[in-house]
Amino acid sequence: MSHKLPETFADQVRAIPGGEHLELCYSCGTCVSKCLIQQKLEPEYNPRRLLRMVMMDMRQEAFRSPTTWLCSACDLCYPACPQQIHISGVIGAIKQLALEAGYESPLETVSVDEALCSGCGICAMACPYEAPHLIEKEVEGEMDCFSEVDANKCMGCGICVAACPLGAISREGVSNEEIVKQIRIRKQKKGVPRTVVFVCDWCLRAADDVSLLESYPDNVRVIHIPCSGRIDPQMALLALRSGIDGVLVCGCAPGECHYKRGTYVSSCKINLLNRMFGQMGVGDGRVRFVQIGTQDRGRIRSEVDGMLEYLIARKGAR
Amino acid sequence: MAASNAKPKLALYWAASCGGCEITVAELGMRLVEVGDLVDIVFWPCIMDFKYSDVEALADGEVDVCLFNGAIRSSENEHIAKLLRQKSKVLVAFGSCAHEGCIPGLANFYDAESILARVYDTAPSLDGTRGTRPTPSNQVPEGEIRIPVFYDRVRTLAQTVDVDYFVPGCPPVVDQVWDVFQTILTGQLPEKGAIIGADAKTNCDVCPRQKGQGGMRIKGFKRPHEVELDPQACFLTQGLICCGPATRAGCGLPCIKGNMPCRGCYGPPDGVVDQGAKLLSAIAALIDTDEPEELQHIVDTIVDPAGTFYRFSLVVSILSELKYR
Repeated sequence: MSHKLPETFADQVRAIPGGEHLELCYSCGTCVSKCLIQQKLEPEYNPRRLLRMVMMDMRQEAFRSPTTWLCSACDLCYPACPQQIHISGVIGAIKQLALEAGYESPLETVSVDEALCSGCGICAMACPYEAPHLIEKEVEGEMDCFSEVDANKCMGCGICVAACPLGAISREGVSNEEIVKQIRIRKQKKGVPRTVVFVCDWCLRAADDVSLLESYPDNVRVIHIPCSGRIDPQMALLALRSGIDGVLVCGCAPGECHYKRGTYVSSCKINLLNRMFGQMGVGDGRVRFVQIGTQDRGRIRSEVDGMLEYLIARKGAR
Repeated sequence: MAASNAKPKLALYWAASCGGCEITVAELGMRLVEVGDLVDIVFWPCIMDFKYSDVEALADGEVDVCLFNGAIRSSENEHIAKLLRQKSKVLVAFGSCAHEGCIPGLANFYDAESILARVYDTAPSLDGTRGTRPTPSNQVPEGEIRIPVFYDRVRTLAQTVDVDYFVPGCPPVVDQVWDVFQTILTGQLPEKGAIIGADAKTNCDVCPRQKGQGGMRIKGFKRPHEVELDPQACFLTQGLICCGPATRAGCGLPCIKGNMPCRGCYGPPDGVVDQGAKLLSAIAALIDTDEPEELQHIVDTIVDPAGTFYRFSLVVSILSELKYR
């Protein structure tokens, strides 16, 4: 008579695509050293420990762990793992089980204003996590299509907020209104061009680089955004229209974007915006996009200083 | 609106336009006879024999409603715009050119000199060696001959004179035009500055096509002649740039039903400041790549970004404001 052992937590994780390589982990912790979440957001964040919890059948502890919820699948750890474990895949499997067990994502997510939503589906196509999807609903006797966001999939990057042509999607802290308000800079210090610097929350690894941004005079307005993909070219245009001299957008290096595709989206936007400036004969280098790698310590200083020097020279030349 | 014993007076004019807006009015067909019964047409140079002196002879405010189509490209356009403003109680920017600059507005990528040089000197069909150029004033034995001045840029009607209402569309579709006539004839006009003859929603709101879903992205943008189009699926999912997401509804989707993507002629819906920037932001979010070289390739497949995203609204764009301030 065959005897079947009860299914363990590890068995369940392994059964979900992405979770197969669980046992390969020998707890070296290289993933933790690579992870920006651990460094910037949550000291308790620890993929190594989470995988160990699964293997030790610590189900509830794993489900409550921030590691389960905060991983954005940026995969910075993946190439570093000596065992080649696709760690975000394993974490995704754990998250799926947590959701099935009734746990919910603690992240700040986006919300849709149905009065504005046209059901165009752009957010659904743009989201790196497939969090928004279209649903049909009856409104005043007629079927209408709206976007609905799965809060458990949404990582709050804001790529959809920028992509929505009607401003129907927002996220607290980085709504269109809140960002546009920050763009306004009054003329203060002479000689320093009025510059808006949008900085993705993840592209600066060194604490020195983060604190450097606070050392610039008020004419340099640093606006922190969750992802460079959050930037909408209309913001750059509004800034220039209001008399701002230049706009610098800083995102992650290709392959290092915390939200997988935001840096490509932003690169595409600024590229097209600059081509349009060229067609119109305006702009000339006043809106820039730079991709800062996790190893590019000190690069932010040269990028901001370079931008300011360019803007000063440009003003002088006119 | 008019004295009880008199029919309301209507004027129609075309400035820098293609004539499509005129055709749309003519397309009213038998309904035009009804319009003719209800109003007194005092000026419509495209269709009936009027002279500018006929307008000059009218008292200020004597025209009840003027439907003005076309952009302001020349001193003649500007002069008549100002004249009709003075003579009309209600001035309507009729159609995309008067409303947003439309296709003539794309000339704002250039200045007057480069346009004249192209048209009179370097166009392949011309003998450019003679250097013939239109000059506003010419002395001939009989005296001075004057022609309108070709301006450096295109303006909309509202950038030239005070406008009461806007009817979008290139051209406005005929049923909407009929509604506009009804609105005017009943005198139930909305608040000044309103857009009439269109809806508040966007084209995506009313488009029956199968919309995009998670994971559907674009590896390269195509133009309609380069691809066989699925008549059921959203154009964006097929890699075509469709302006529907940032374009006001009201046209009844003739392009989309004809299996052509929306080009954006009804302009942006309420709440959108800059139609082109919003479209760019939406379309760029759909690219499918994680390779910088491939990204450049995909971006390059958008042949004419400003002309695509601002095909009708360049003149009222922030891009334009940056150029001309």
